[in-house]
Amino acid sequence: MRRLLRLLPILACVWWPGCAAPPPGGPAPASKPAAVARTTDGKPDLSGVWQGGNGRRGTWEEANSGLGVGGIGSDPTAPPNPASQQVVSAPAPYQPWAAERVLKAYNRRGIDDPAGLCLPLGIPRIALVGLFPIQIVQTPTQIVMLYEYMSVFRVIPFQASHPDDLVPTYMGDSIARWDGDTLVVDTVSFNDKTWLTGTGTFHSDALHVTERYTRIDKDQINYDVTMDDPKVLTAPWTIHSTLMLRDGTRLREYVCAENNLDPAQYEKLLKEGVAFTR
Amino acid sequence: MARLIAGLLELALVLWLVSSPLAAHHSFGAEFDAKTPVVLTGVVTKIEWTNPHSHFYLDVKDERGRLSHWRFEGYTVNALYRTGWKKDVSMKIGDTVTVMGWKARDGSNAAHAREVTLASGKKLFFGPPAGTGDGGSVPPVKVP
Repeated sequence: MRRLLRLLPILACVWWPGCAAPPPGGPAPASKPAAVARTTDGKPDLSGVWQGGNGRRGTWEEANSGLGVGGIGSDPTAPPNPASQQVVSAPAPYQPWAAERVLKAYNRRGIDDPAGLCLPLGIPRIALVGLFPIQIVQTPTQIVMLYEYMSVFRVIPFQASHPDDLVPTYMGDSIARWDGDTLVVDTVSFNDKTWLTGTGTFHSDALHVTERYTRIDKDQINYDVTMDDPKVLTAPWTIHSTLMLRDGTRLREYVCAENNLDPAQYEKLLKEGVAFTR
Repeated sequence: MARLIAGLLELALVLWLVSSPLAAHHSFGAEFDAKTPVVLTGVVTKIEWTNPHSHFYLDVKDERGRLSHWRFEGYTVNALYRTGWKKDVSMKIGDTVTVMGWKARDGSNAAHAREVTLASGKKLFFGPPAGTGDGGSVPPVKVP
């Protein structure tokens, strides 16, 4: 029961991102959230620079300084910030054979991560990463998502169908529609070379992702994602996360292949038979 | 009965907090060992502001005056910038700095740098916490 009580503050932060205390010496939390801006056609305007995997309000510096991206408190030895982790409603519903494969990757400490090869992260993982900003540019006819990480982008049209000449890709093909004030993005035509969320969460080329973006106030988009993959999962898998507005942050160039020493290091470790103990 | 309910609740809550999606280019745990923390003071000999990881190198003398060379890995360039680092200003070749981090699994003189105490006395994070991106302590799936 005591362990349960210790978990409650963490969960409170996950469910209510604004609860996170400011870093020591850092700024006070922002005052009452401002209303959501709307475009000329009356839709919520999602335009702006956002940070995924983080529930704190404020600028990038206010939300991340003092602890470092992914850190917690002022203790550098503390583990990654639990509030930066996505919340799932249950363990990922993999078919038994697929769960074994996920567990194998987990036990190899993610050494097989496609990101280690500088490949695009796919969806929704790209929106859960807190280290790199995401810029959304919205117009009445399309919405554009620019991801600093791996320098990938999505140009998502409204009032469109998926083309019939698609070939599988890392980021798939996306179309958008409005469900009230929620932006719904439907994506298909993925290859099978990315992970859905964390370590080892592979999928097949049958993956179908439905993302729901709801800007609940000026600072926060609620990000709810359902992944359906009948070749790998037993049922659709839904996770919930947030995107936080980072006014003043600008996207910068990121060339992952510039000096990627990791594949050679991984090859060396595996050849030497490293034990990935936890 | 109360203990059973508490136990079930705890299990459910733990399952909700499944692994981190990550904040770094690769898994911490694949290359580094959180069980081998290290604190070293030395002189900066080289700095690489590169992607996907930045590095710096130190000459470290032990208590007997023997010299060893260490390589430290950390954030990508953009993350360093947003964490408060300034290229060619915050840390320069020849500076004496102290690094807290965790050693590489292969036993070489390499480590993941977390916090650097600069020549000015200021502390800056050079890399994310131990365990970032390596799946956490709970697998994302249940396997019978």
